[in-house]
Amino acid sequence: MTSVTELAAGSERAAVETDSRRPRGTTEPPNGGTAPPTPRRTRRSLTPLWLLTPAGIVVIALILIPIGFLLFTSFTNFDQRSLFTGAFDWTGITEYTSIFTNVDFWWSLLRTVLFTAAMVAGSVVIGMGVAQLLTRLGTAMKYIVTVVLILAWAMPNVASAQVWKWLFQPGYGVINWLLTQTHLFGNVLNVNWPQDTSLAFFCIWLLVVWQAVPFIALTLYAAQSQVSQEYVEAARLDGANEWRVYWNVTIPFLRPTLMLMIILSVIWDFNVFNQIWLVSQGGPNDATMTLGIYTYVNAFVSFDLGNGSAIAIVTTVILGLLSAFYVRSLLRSGEDL
Amino acid sequence: MSAPTLISGPLAPSGTKVVRATPGRHGKRRWIATLIAIVFSLIWVFPVYWMINTALKPQSEVMTPTPLFFPLHPTLSNFIDAVNNSTFLDNLRSSLIVVVASVLVSAAIAFFACAALTRFRFRGRRVIMVTILVVQMLPSVALLIPTFLVFNDFNLVGSYLGLILAYIAMVLPFSIWILRGFFIAVPVEIEEAARVDGASDWRILRSVLFPLVAPGIISTSIFAFIAAWNEYILAYTFMKDNTMYTLPIWLASFSTPHSGTDFGGQMAASVLFSLPVVIFFLIIQRKLVSGIAAGAVKG
Repeated sequence: MTSVTELAAGSERAAVETDSRRPRGTTEPPNGGTAPPTPRRTRRSLTPLWLLTPAGIVVIALILIPIGFLLFTSFTNFDQRSLFTGAFDWTGITEYTSIFTNVDFWWSLLRTVLFTAAMVAGSVVIGMGVAQLLTRLGTAMKYIVTVVLILAWAMPNVASAQVWKWLFQPGYGVINWLLTQTHLFGNVLNVNWPQDTSLAFFCIWLLVVWQAVPFIALTLYAAQSQVSQEYVEAARLDGANEWRVYWNVTIPFLRPTLMLMIILSVIWDFNVFNQIWLVSQGGPNDATMTLGIYTYVNAFVSFDLGNGSAIAIVTTVILGLLSAFYVRSLLRSGEDL
Repeated sequence: MSAPTLISGPLAPSGTKVVRATPGRHGKRRWIATLIAIVFSLIWVFPVYWMINTALKPQSEVMTPTPLFFPLHPTLSNFIDAVNNSTFLDNLRSSLIVVVASVLVSAAIAFFACAALTRFRFRGRRVIMVTILVVQMLPSVALLIPTFLVFNDFNLVGSYLGLILAYIAMVLPFSIWILRGFFIAVPVEIEEAARVDGASDWRILRSVLFPLVAPGIISTSIFAFIAAWNEYILAYTFMKDNTMYTLPIWLASFSTPHSGTDFGGQMAASVLFSLPVVIFFLIIQRKLVSGIAAGAVKG
């Protein structure tokens, strides 16, 4: 959803594992109905049902039914007129054949995959570097870096997108001015990043990576401080240099955390919407038109809601597969759902 | 989070005096790390610095051929303009109505749901947990389209109620997921003791569990607040009337009566909008980082 859930996910994992004690389900037997229940127990076993009812209503009425409705709409030609008249036709798989034969769809899918790969690679590699850097700093410097990371992490992406447009503004933007001062690229004062087919994505990439690095760096740093020092010392005794120690001792220790970070980043970066929409609106010439933007433009700009729904269903299926990986690796890491 | 010291006692490896890098090399390495850290911090903090710097500049210093790295005549006029010469106050009210309502409702629902999910064993519990986990990963556009269509039929598009319902659907799954961790941390023995004393389920929930997980409810609500406060695309698509816009829409389409693009005003607006989030972030920051540390032991 919104990328702010990122920060939630950080501590969500967090809070979950703070205690290894698992509730033993109070006094309830597994409600399998095998034991002859006393009246009191029968009454009590209904308690979870009551407690879950409000959440169930919300999830079913506001999430599951809408997704069902999305599937339904994807088989119709629902459009702007239908919004007012309520009239639309059942068109079967026409919307699907039309998107799969539309080259724009394939381009936006390819673009999304490449963007996601670039953003995940960038944020994970930089995040690993910063985590490693944090282990080598004195207390004061460590504190400064942490505060800087948290500032970048906390900035709402609607605000940071505004800041980005100002930083990269042609004419008076400070980035162009700084680049011109280096004399490496000549006079680039008037380069319009968000409106340049090759630079627009790089500009958004910087924005996404800037906000994604803190979560990854702080999580990996926390994991890294758990790495058993004996192994590190043993490796040093055997004459391993810093790089070997990192590669052969630290990385294997970090692997489960790293896997989770990568999977979560893939899911989040695949869903990046605000940053692209606010900086370039998918332009110029569709250069930053990812699946999310493509769906939105189809559904709410050209108001071809049937078509937009079909694309959204395809996106949902892709993300469903990615989430399956996430759930599997969570379960592997010992999470008790 | 200092590096764990070596175990002493019988289990300690014989060579506790391990070969370390010589002091000179060590010092040099620390020095290089510090240098890299300074460069990194300067780059990473720069966008935030530039936002604040621009927000504090008078109109004449915002767009200069050579950018000014600090305001020569710092002023709050951009902030005053942003608040007075725009729909800020209306939109602040909209944001507060929608965010507070959806956060409170979600927190209450999540509290009951977590009590059921952590305090009882029943069939289908795992399925529910996986569902809650997976629906968080859905792209927002996928929910946006059908929600828009359904709400359109019920005349909820453009109303606060519609947006509140949509935000509850957005924040409830992760509220349950976060709050669940706090429930798990409460030892079952406490409730068992209350139960032995004859307390009913409802009473245990109200007088035993609720006070114990109250800090968790606050953290969860802060997360939910941040998510709802920052939400843009749902509000942008749903709200028609510009006095009913929420603050993200106000910010994204910011304008004041000044001629041309008013970057000073825009940056002041960005600061105003980000401030509550940053403050909340700093409140939960400790939980955030130490929590992550705990999670990473297993994760």
